[in-house]
Amino acid sequence: MRPDAVRGHLDAMLLSVLEAGPLHGYAIITAVQDRSGGALELRTGTIYPALNRLERLGLLRSSWQSVGERRRRCYELTNVGRRGLASERSAWQEFTSAIGSVLNPAASTRPAS
Amino acid sequence: MTTLDERIAAAPGGPIEDYVAALSAALHGPDRAKERMVKEIRDGLTDTAAAYASDEAPGDEAARRAVRDFGTVDELLPGLQRELTIAQARHTARTAAVTVPVLALVCILIRTAEHDPDWPLRALASHLAGLAAVAGVLATAALAATGPLARWLPTPHRLPLVIAWTGTGAAVAMGVATLGLATTSALATHWTLMVLAGALTAFSHAVVAASARTCRQCARLAAQ
Repeated sequence: MRPDAVRGHLDAMLLSVLEAGPLHGYAIITAVQDRSGGALELRTGTIYPALNRLERLGLLRSSWQSVGERRRRCYELTNVGRRGLASERSAWQEFTSAIGSVLNPAASTRPAS
Repeated sequence: MTTLDERIAAAPGGPIEDYVAALSAALHGPDRAKERMVKEIRDGLTDTAAAYASDEAPGDEAARRAVRDFGTVDELLPGLQRELTIAQARHTARTAAVTVPVLALVCILIRTAEHDPDWPLRALASHLAGLAAVAGVLATAALAATGPLARWLPTPHRLPLVIAWTGTGAAVAMGVATLGLATTSALATHWTLMVLAGALTAFSHAVVAASARTCRQCARLAAQ
C-alpha cells in the first residue's frame, strides 16, 4: 500500500496499537507492521512527529521507562485518546461503508421482493 | 560485555550516528524538545538495527538498512521541524504569559514611586498594564490554538510566525518602557523603586525577545 494512502490514517493506527498498553517507538512501528501483515509501506521515521503531535493534542502521554537494558520514551493513551480512537473507528466504518456501496453496488443492494 | 545495539549506537561515524548528527544539525527548536526528539530517533534506529542484525545481517549493514527504512533526513525534516516550531511557539507564548505578573508588579512600583497624579510616567504604567493584559490574552489563545483546540481546528501554518512577531512586538514595547524608566528614574520620589521597575522590565524584554527571535528562526525553517 502506498505511503501517501497510509499517511492520512497514521494517527488512528498509532492510537489503535497503543490501546492495549504503553509502547516505545520501535515497538509501535513493529505493532503497526505486524497488524498490517507487512502490507503498509511506512517510513518508520514518520511516526515520531506524529507521536509528538498526538501528545501535544492530549491524546497520548509519554514518560521515560526502563525497557530491557535501556530507558526508552513510552507512549500511552489518555482518556481523551480513547475517545478519539472510538471516534476514528466510527468515522472509518462510515467511510468504508459509503465507499464500499459505490464500488460494489451489487453487494449493498437488497434483492427486490 | 556490551550488547549489540550499544555497539551499533556507539560506533564512531557509523550510519546511525551520521544520520542522527545530520538530523540534529538541521533541526532547530527548544533545547529539551529537540534533545528528546533526537534521543528517541536514535533509540528507534538502534532498536531497528538490532532487530535486523539478529536476522544474520552484519552490524554495519543492519544499521544502514535501519537508516534506509527510517526515511531520508530530507523526507523527515519538515514533519519534525514543524513539531519543534510549534514547541518553540508555545515556549514563546508561555514566556510572554510569565511576564504578565512581572509587568503588573512594575505598574504597581511605578505608581508607588511617585504619588503625583499628573506625573508623566503614570501613562507608562498604563501602557505596561495594557501590554500585560494583551500579552496574557494572546499567550493563552496561542497555547489553546496549538494545544487542545488543535484537535478540532487545524493549526494555521503561519501561526508560529504570527506568535513570533507578536512576541517581538511585545519585547520592543518592553524595551521602550525600559529606556523610559532608565531615563526618568532619578526624577521620582522613590527612585529605588523605579530602578527595580526598570530592572524587571529589562528582564521581561530580554526573555521575551530571545524566545521570539528563536521562534522567528524556527518559523522560517518550517516554512521552507
